[in-house]
Amino acid sequence: MTAQIALATGSFILTLIAAMILSTLSITLVRYASSGGPVYLERDRRALRLLKEWLTPEQLTCYERFRYFEVIGSDTGTRFRIHHGTQTNIEELGSGDRLVCKWCFGPDGNLAPGDVMLAQKIALETNERGALAVANRSYFRPDGVAFRRAA
Amino acid sequence: MAIQIVMDRTGDTRHTFNPYDRAAVEKAEKRFMELIGAGFTAAARTGPGEQRVVRNFDPTAEETLFYPRLVGG
Repeated sequence: MTAQIALATGSFILTLIAAMILSTLSITLVRYASSGGPVYLERDRRALRLLKEWLTPEQLTCYERFRYFEVIGSDTGTRFRIHHGTQTNIEELGSGDRLVCKWCFGPDGNLAPGDVMLAQKIALETNERGALAVANRSYFRPDGVAFRRAA
Repeated sequence: MAIQIVMDRTGDTRHTFNPYDRAAVEKAEKRFMELIGAGFTAAARTGPGEQRVVRNFDPTAEETLFYPRLVGG
């Protein structure tokens, strides 16, 4: 009799655990499907492919190694480092790779990082002043804290 | 074949056309004007990693990329 009770209790607990796992799995799958997960992965992949097609061989080598590449501003000859990302991902470099400030601008809309970085590259290489005119700039105090003002 | 690449939420949308087909060129020019009118910037690839901004439709450009208006982040 005791063995039967133990068996029934064990079966009940196992069934309960299985039900919890299944419900958790279902919720995860529904959330993943509604977030458009695969679509985002595909668009990011496409955008990165496009970016790589438009980089110079040197920029491509640098990006694949360090996840950033550098461009020269068309108007001032300033060197900018564009990091992988979509926001405040552009560093203005001074002599000796010194960080002067960070810039934040990009194409309107919710675009993938590859697209954003490509638009930033083209804008800085062809119309530096126009691009920076709409950008926001962040400076850094010696203690590393960022502060921002409109460019 | 020439190609117009438009950045969008899917990554990009690509439109190829035959530059020797008059109807196709007219359609490409119409698309160019619509995108420019909507605030896009057009850049034609001129070499590996090199590009120039184009403000008028150039039927001889093999690859033209359109990106949306720039905004501060």
